[in-house]
Amino acid sequence: MKLLRLALRTLRREWHLPELRTLAASLLLAVVALGVVATLASRVEGGLVASAAELIGGDAGVSAPQALPQPYLDEARQRDLTVTRSAGFPSVAFAGERGQLLDVDATDAAWPLRGALELAAHGVTSAGHGPAPGTMYLDHRAMVALGLAVGDHVQLGGLDLAVAAELVSQPDGGQLVAMAPRALMNLADAQRAGLLGVGSRARHRLLVAGAPAAVRDWLAWAKAQALPQGAELITPAKTQQRMRNAFDRAGSFLRLTALLSALLAGVAIALAAQRYARRKTPEIALLRALGTARTRVFGLLLATLGALALPTLLLGVLVAWGLAEGAWQLAGAAFVHVPTALPLLPALGAAAMGLAVLAGFALPPLARLAEVPPVAVFRASMARRVRRVDVLYLVPALVAVALLWNQSGSAKLAIILAVSLSVVAVLAALLALLLLWFARRIAPGAHPALRLGLAALARRRTLSTVQATALSLGLVALLLLAVVAPALLEGWRRELPPDTPNWFVLNLQDDQRTDFTDRLEKLGAQQLNMLPLAVGKLTAINGTPVDQLHFADPGAARWADRQLRLSWTGTLPPSNKVVAGHWAGATPARAEVSVDTSWRDMFGLKIGDRMRFDVGEGSLEATVASVREVDWSSFRVNFFLLLDPAHAGSLPHTWLASFYLPHGHAQALAEVSRDYGNLSLVDVDALLDRVREIVDQVGGAVRWVLGFSLLAGALVLAAALATSAAERRHEAALLRTLGARRGQLRLAAACEFALLGLIAGLTAALGAFGAGWWLARGVFRLDDFVPPLGPLLGGALLAAVVIMLLGLAGTRKVTRTSPMRLLREG
Amino acid sequence: MSESSLPLLEARDVSKTVRGPEGTLDILADVTLAVHAGESFAIVGASGSGKTTLLGLLAGLDTPTTGSVRLDGHALEAIDEEARADLRRQLVGFVFQSFHLLPALTAEENVMLPLELEGRDDARARAREALTAVGLDTRRRHYPAQLSGGEQQRVAIARAFVHGPRVLFADEPTGNLDQRTGRHVADLLFALNRDHRTTLVLVTHDATLAARCARGVELMEGRIAAPAAIT
Repeated sequence: MKLLRLALRTLRREWHLPELRTLAASLLLAVVALGVVATLASRVEGGLVASAAELIGGDAGVSAPQALPQPYLDEARQRDLTVTRSAGFPSVAFAGERGQLLDVDATDAAWPLRGALELAAHGVTSAGHGPAPGTMYLDHRAMVALGLAVGDHVQLGGLDLAVAAELVSQPDGGQLVAMAPRALMNLADAQRAGLLGVGSRARHRLLVAGAPAAVRDWLAWAKAQALPQGAELITPAKTQQRMRNAFDRAGSFLRLTALLSALLAGVAIALAAQRYARRKTPEIALLRALGTARTRVFGLLLATLGALALPTLLLGVLVAWGLAEGAWQLAGAAFVHVPTALPLLPALGAAAMGLAVLAGFALPPLARLAEVPPVAVFRASMARRVRRVDVLYLVPALVAVALLWNQSGSAKLAIILAVSLSVVAVLAALLALLLLWFARRIAPGAHPALRLGLAALARRRTLSTVQATALSLGLVALLLLAVVAPALLEGWRRELPPDTPNWFVLNLQDDQRTDFTDRLEKLGAQQLNMLPLAVGKLTAINGTPVDQLHFADPGAARWADRQLRLSWTGTLPPSNKVVAGHWAGATPARAEVSVDTSWRDMFGLKIGDRMRFDVGEGSLEATVASVREVDWSSFRVNFFLLLDPAHAGSLPHTWLASFYLPHGHAQALAEVSRDYGNLSLVDVDALLDRVREIVDQVGGAVRWVLGFSLLAGALVLAAALATSAAERRHEAALLRTLGARRGQLRLAAACEFALLGLIAGLTAALGAFGAGWWLARGVFRLDDFVPPLGPLLGGALLAAVVIMLLGLAGTRKVTRTSPMRLLREG
Repeated sequence: MSESSLPLLEARDVSKTVRGPEGTLDILADVTLAVHAGESFAIVGASGSGKTTLLGLLAGLDTPTTGSVRLDGHALEAIDEEARADLRRQLVGFVFQSFHLLPALTAEENVMLPLELEGRDDARARAREALTAVGLDTRRRHYPAQLSGGEQQRVAIARAFVHGPRVLFADEPTGNLDQRTGRHVADLLFALNRDHRTTLVLVTHDATLAARCARGVELMEGRIAAPAAIT
């Protein structure tokens, strides 16, 4: 208690010291940056889960080729979860002379549990639930294809059903490509009509919703069961893969920026603590001489630091909450339907991390300070270096790595940043030492100002090296954020240019291609791309029928049992990368197939393996010639299996077209599609817009966090310059006494800071270039990205100039130091 | 004008007043004195009597509130700080009680400093000569922390006379040294005064040291109490 009182008194006395204020400001900044980003990320994650639930129609569930056994329902009800059952299957509906294949969902009245089923009838749009017995809902395409209106009757599975409403939108599990027009009917009707009987191609679903903990508990129970054959769990994490990828990337960007801000703050804390320790050395020597035990001294230092840290942490948490709430209010449009409460825990976690940064970076100088021997009261030089404290200098490095690990959520991101920052630190230190060595050699022949500047750098060898290293680390973080991150974002944005295909057409026949293409072009469609699409089955691998093969991965068994989509092309599609083997090209000597990496892993395939496919009446055996890594978030049509056109061209197929149609032409397109009853049109504009929105919002958020980083960078700069301020003042006073002119001191300081800035700037530019290159490939999957070297070097030079100017501004006071100071000091 | 007729250093009716938390404080009042070239001159007095302030004014480190200080014919209060710095560089050398060597520089580099400020190319050679003159030629690559107090003060003396100043100001030059070392340092200062005809202005409260000077004054509460007891 006494110690705490003493610590509080010390803090009150010393609060005016710039290093303590820097320490507090750095800590505040670290907590705010980490807290805001963690809070926002958690909220976005909450929004994503809720949004995924809206798409699924429930919080979680199971899908299976047959109806789920009763225990799945009972277990859910025991946990107070609401339950709904549904089944999806293709079926042909008839209206008069017209027939149309439909994607039918048969649901009970409770469906959907989450999200909205939007229905339109007589010009009024309303939310609803599964259709009542004897009725069904049809989407616009189905209505057009069958020539129906609300109130008409339709035949399905031998039942006569009334069209009760037009189906506008439904929770659809985030399916990008629906094969056919959609319809909703009552589950009991479907059962009555025998549509779900043995041999049907129905996919049954059981969805649950309720308290998150109960849902998790039920999912855990379901996972522990031996799921029926072919059954799969439905979870939010599995849905919305494209959105998920966008959010994951967004999260990486934000965490990267917050992390760099926190590390910058750490560097500033380390510098400030170092300076504080040096200032306190005589006082501690005196305390020790007066009989204060080392442990008590250390306790006092820790208590002082704690007394400083606690209110700062509290303030940081409050500011982080406030800013996160503000940012959510400003930019929460992405989850406008999904209100999520302000999560309180992430900011508290950030406070804990801030405390770790403070302890990690401030501990070594303070521990050394506690080791000051009493004899140092006579002569500072008698304060011998205590080697056993040296090991503590590993603590900041460990804290930094732990923080990187914890925050990045990606080992790759953590490793890339840790390695890059370490390389930059070592490089900056080596460059600084090299320059200092060089300075000593060239100094005698140099211009007097440069000579004095070089001499000044050389004089404070250790400090200069520390300054150069700290400034380099600060700058590399700033360059990464200010130059590399926007360029990365731009690269990401370029992946989705304004004319990214926003419509897909399925089921186009050979004889419809020319006519349909002409009509699309008249509508203003661009980027039209057509690929053949064959539906077949995998029957054998290396001559062994697949039903005789055992696959460790259950996914493989499911695929082997399922209809596959096959395509062929002579050129490697964009967003595909060959990672093994060679791309077959248009006319290989024998039939070749290129498989996606997930297929290679599932089936244990290797180059040279033979795969047999049955398509329609024919079959084809192709050799695995290459393995492709496919970017499934690219909004392009991609296939797990790509055959060569020379051998696959004759397989029975339809065409799949993708194209970009400017907004406002959907109605015209719907009219065109009426003339081709067999076509299925899929609009992905909404999804595209959503991803673009995310990119923009991330851009905005990165700029926010960049603001913190700039502040942290300024703190590092101030702390780095402050480390040598005392020496600088003493030196200036001495040089003034010896007759140095102010101009001489200023010119020397300008040379000194320009050199320091150049070392830091150039090292940082190189570091940011390397880290950016690596990050783009390792984390953000932008393989063509080259960090902009010009702006990086420009930024580095600008930084050098800023360092010089700020250094000069900081030394203004120093050059005005009265030479009388020395006489007063004795 | 002959050297003997005009003093090299002159203070006339010099006063220094500073503003403190409890109002203004007169540190010096009506101080008048003159020191001729080649003389040795002591300023003695108790702690707080204004010795160091007077030394600062005479050396052009500060300006008087009223009165005039002339160094080699230049009225220091009439020129700006930059011009005073020029005068100091050309005419003045300093020795401090706490030596004030730069810890990151070797003995030789410390001595080179005034020459570097002048932009002289022979700084290193002349610094070596100066160090040899104070008997430290073998320690020129040592850093201050590796030197004893006496050795550090000898380096400071080498730095003070390396550029051939006309006046050497010494503020308690033996204050931090033991008696024997102090005597050696004082011998060195007086030898410079004698051999190079460098004017020596010495602030001290050591009566023995003051007695070695040709003339001097004693300050008491900022005023000249009496000419120091100089033989």
